[in-house]
Amino acid sequence: MTPTLTGTKKVVTGNHAVSYGAMLARVQVISAYPITPQTQVVELLSEFCANGTLRAKFIKVESEHSAMAALIGAASTGARTFTATSAHGLALMHEMLHWAAGARLPIVMADINRAMGPPWSVWTDQNDSLSQRDTGWMQVYCESNQEVLDTVIQAYRVAEKVSMPAMLVLDAFVLSHTAEPIEIPDQSLVDEYLPPYRPLYKLDPNDPRSFGALAPPDVYMELRYKMHQAMEDALIEWARADEEFSELFGRRYGLIEPYRADDAEILLVTSGTVTSTAREVIDELRAEGRRVGLLKIRVFRPFPAQLVRAALQDTEKVAVLDRNISFGMGGIFAQEIKSALYNSTKRPPIFGFVAGLGGRDITPSVIREIIDYTESHDEPEDLIWVGVKR
Amino acid sequence: MRKPIVFTSEREMPPMAVSLADMSHNRTGGWRYMRPIYSEKIAPCKNACPVGNDIPRILSLVSEGRYEEAWRLFRQTSPLPGVCGRVCYHPCETRCNRKDFDEALSIASLERFVADACFDLEDKISDRPKRSEKIAIVGSGPAGLTCAYFLAKDGYAVTVFEAASQPGGMLRLGIPSYRLPREVLDREIELIARWGVEFRTNTKIGQDIDIEKLWEQYDALFVATGAHHSRALSIPGEEFALTGLEFLKAVNAGQTVNIGKRTLIIGGGNTAMDCARTALRLGAQPLVVYRRTRAEMPAIAEEIEEAEHEGVQFEFLAAPTAICRRDGKLEVHCVRMQLGEPDRSGRRRPVPIPGSDFRILTDSVLKAVGEEPDLSFLSEHLETSEGIVMERAQGLLERAGIFIGGDAQTGPSTVAQAMRSGRETAYAIMRFLRGERKPKAPQLDEALRVNFSYFVHKPRVPTPQLPVSERTSSFAETKRALSVDQARTEASRCFSCGVCNTCDNCWVFCPDAAIVRTNGSYSVNYDFCKGCGVCAEECPRSVISLVEEEL
Repeated sequence: MTPTLTGTKKVVTGNHAVSYGAMLARVQVISAYPITPQTQVVELLSEFCANGTLRAKFIKVESEHSAMAALIGAASTGARTFTATSAHGLALMHEMLHWAAGARLPIVMADINRAMGPPWSVWTDQNDSLSQRDTGWMQVYCESNQEVLDTVIQAYRVAEKVSMPAMLVLDAFVLSHTAEPIEIPDQSLVDEYLPPYRPLYKLDPNDPRSFGALAPPDVYMELRYKMHQAMEDALIEWARADEEFSELFGRRYGLIEPYRADDAEILLVTSGTVTSTAREVIDELRAEGRRVGLLKIRVFRPFPAQLVRAALQDTEKVAVLDRNISFGMGGIFAQEIKSALYNSTKRPPIFGFVAGLGGRDITPSVIREIIDYTESHDEPEDLIWVGVKR
Repeated sequence: MRKPIVFTSEREMPPMAVSLADMSHNRTGGWRYMRPIYSEKIAPCKNACPVGNDIPRILSLVSEGRYEEAWRLFRQTSPLPGVCGRVCYHPCETRCNRKDFDEALSIASLERFVADACFDLEDKISDRPKRSEKIAIVGSGPAGLTCAYFLAKDGYAVTVFEAASQPGGMLRLGIPSYRLPREVLDREIELIARWGVEFRTNTKIGQDIDIEKLWEQYDALFVATGAHHSRALSIPGEEFALTGLEFLKAVNAGQTVNIGKRTLIIGGGNTAMDCARTALRLGAQPLVVYRRTRAEMPAIAEEIEEAEHEGVQFEFLAAPTAICRRDGKLEVHCVRMQLGEPDRSGRRRPVPIPGSDFRILTDSVLKAVGEEPDLSFLSEHLETSEGIVMERAQGLLERAGIFIGGDAQTGPSTVAQAMRSGRETAYAIMRFLRGERKPKAPQLDEALRVNFSYFVHKPRVPTPQLPVSERTSSFAETKRALSVDQARTEASRCFSCGVCNTCDNCWVFCPDAAIVRTNGSYSVNYDFCKGCGVCAEECPRSVISLVEEEL
């Protein structure tokens, strides 16, 4: 492994794109526990630490809960911190995720979307990350390896600005283990984009403070209010971070990304890698003269409700493709989009599709089927299972 | 209590729960029922060293390249670092905490390195009290030399009587030069002499000089005559066998000894190993006959390994029953043994197997089945028991001003044990002359708990060795010195168990900021310490103890 290639093109997997992103962000403390399909992320980072490419402390731990706890400690001293996990590992971190957010620590983590067991599965779906929706972590769903690397760097920028932790999310195997050519940005440019972390308060024996103490009811709510305000601010900061990123590196992703949406009668909403497949299908359908478009949701928390509303309210029908399921209700993205539109005066009908759970492929024909269904039905449905053998 | 900060709006509040005011009014120390105290511990290596060398501090100095200071620290406890660095059985290494992490420190090699690096240095002869008492020491082995060194440093006039022509006792007579080059021994004896110690060689007690006379002429007397009397085999033909010690003494004195092509060595102790390896260097093929197995051999493991390495042959579970002359050679009759019930030493007793006799043809036989002290020079009104004076503190002899130590007291033991005895006797003599009682030495706890999380694995630097091919043709020293780089690398592996090296961990980890750091040392502010014990847990080297608060 020759790790110091920056400012060059390189063919790397999604997992290694994460590692390169963390390296370029000059993280100072890494703590992680291995789990398929995340392991390569921290494998490469541990090599970077061992061979001196990255001057960071790599803390080995006995569980994901401890990994996050270690980072909470490290971040409290003002260190830039990183971890990566997946599925059950993320679930085990749950308590500490709340703590990181409540303590306002800008920890950045990669979650490789993997289906929860039982039954055991190592393949992708989004239930692991979406189960952590309300912990106070920002969530960004990535579509390509380049986006993965860039998002790590952007995530630190935003997280440190608003003092909230951030999770970038990528699909197991489809992205994590698939190699693509990407540009590894030049370190000096990254340094220009991402200044060192300077926390407002930190653990310091020379300036001792007590952190996380008991907050009685007369102050607790204000602190929660401030967390929500920080998330609201983060919407602006993500836009700003993306804008400045594009000025330096020539790439931008947006919080959401409409594709051939302008005159679309049906808009398909996606997240993660399935977006790439959907682009192809939209192109085909457009070539056939059908007025269909695409809306990719990249930043899921904070939820860019206004942007989503603006993007969807003028279309005739909305089809949401969820690679997740909230049992007893339906797809989680569909719920979010419905709730974003409900207080709008213009509310197109929303069709909620659930597909691709546990890593089942979402092929172009699956996406075609979703569009066809939406086109041929007038009454919206909350939950349409795609491809279930019945 | 200070006035609390009251927030009237969220804008005034910090983003997270963090204290903004001085919290020192909250004296949480009252919650404490366990108290952390800084109490340096004795490192297990130092505790195991019979001489009491301050190993962690010495190794710390070596790792910093401060060899002279390291050497002077050795000389506070030992006048023979060059000797010990070569011949000591290093119980320090056996106890080294690092052995539970990767490998023990190579402490003996480092002691030798320091002695070699400082070969030309001399003690600074300090101002000493002038004392009128004269002390006679009989025997100039490690016990006698060490006793002389400490007494002379304290201002006493010391005369050492030695039967041989040069001082050194067993160090010179018994230990072959491939283990201890004579210039090293000579140099360290010379440095002892610089303190005014007088050596009277060629003076054998009970022959050239009488113990009663010495007792009259001197204010105190230390008998450190060692254990030179070889035990008997008590078998027919024993007279054909040379004693191992006589053989070594002759070779070490430069005399020619003819042992022929094949020599048979009876015994499994250090003398046997020295005989075998010496015989090898004289061009003979040595065969060691031992009545138990390799596991029961009393010799130091390293010596056995070296002997095997160099090509010494072993015949285990065999005991000689007779030695006969046959055709100009010697025929040793042996019987095969098996191990029976454990004896008093805890080792399984060898029992002959009936009808298992066999014979070995050899040119010579060396018997090395142990030595014992010969105290026949003691006059009858000087009480001894079983040839060994009992506890010096309780014995009649101490009150008489005659002290016995080293191998003469214990029977054959190690150089380091003899040195300990020599030093302890020096202090006992001082107390005797001044009419003082033995003070109660404070017992330090051993530093046994090392927080391995703070250390990285690093292999032990092997001691360089002379290749076997170059060994058996000469008496050149088999072990070689570490290089400067090797020594510093190896010394830096030391955990410094029990010794604070101001790593700041306690200060960094204390959740109550109750550790006060001033000028490179720490103290606990008990007004705030809750006694959680994090400092003690995170101290890598066991310096902080957690003790229960007294109510």
